[in-house]
Amino acid sequence: MTDWNNNLPKNDDNYTHNINRNNERSLDRRGFMKTLVGAAGVFAVASLPWGTLAAKELMGLSDKEYPRQKIVDITNIAVGDSVEFHFPSEHDSAVLIRLKENKFVAYQNACTHLRCPVYWVKDQQEMVCPCHHGKFDVQTGEPTAGPPRRALPEIIVEVESNSVYAVRVKRYET
Amino acid sequence: MKRSYFGVISLCAILFMDIVFMQLLVHQYFHQNYKIVLLFMFCNIILFPIALYIYKQEINKGGQSHEKK
Ligand code: FES
Repeated sequence: MTDWNNNLPKNDDNYTHNINRNNERSLDRRGFMKTLVGAAGVFAVASLPWGTLAAKELMGLSDKEYPRQKIVDITNIAVGDSVEFHFPSEHDSAVLIRLKENKFVAYQNACTHLRCPVYWVKDQQEMVCPCHHGKFDVQTGEPTAGPPRRALPEIIVEVESNSVYAVRVKRYET
Repeated sequence: MKRSYFGVISLCAILFMDIVFMQLLVHQYFHQNYKIVLLFMFCNIILFPIALYIYKQEINKGGQSHEKK
């Protein structure tokens, strides 16, 4: 029998060689590469849910029809004013603006930057996001200033027998 | 000791592409270009095995790790 006492065990000839963690806080080339590969894996996994949702949309569930929803009576909204409502689900807040006597526009008002609610500011004739001062054009929903880069999703509205109805969410044309 | 930077640099490049694709993917999702979303998802997923492959190739190149000095 070999006497191991006071002798370093031979490389890998035991089950405890990995207890030596003298350098555990230093990062060598191999450890760094391992981290990079792990991060790439995280990105791969993280893109899966987006892809799934996209595939779902592609498979006909897109262009959903929601039941039209009454927003407000015409008498309750003056020209130049706005009302908030929720469409298509109660978690999607939206805003309806009466621009002229017979012109209504509606947008989902979650800011396209970081989803703060966008408000209609009558004096400026603009939709303003309070969080980072993003601004949107009220005619088209296109961003005009600040961080947002994408237009607000427009909601098609219809006027019928003195009430305004939300019909559907317009898809982006691109 | 001979240094080998190929693995580190190419893995960094892959990670950078991952970040860029992810950013584009999320933007295209909200723009409702769902086909492009799927394309970017494919890119991101395919990058992972490539990274793993490079890692396997490079793991034993260059100098010894200091743990085994
Ligand atoms: S959340 Fe609207 S500008 Fe940032």
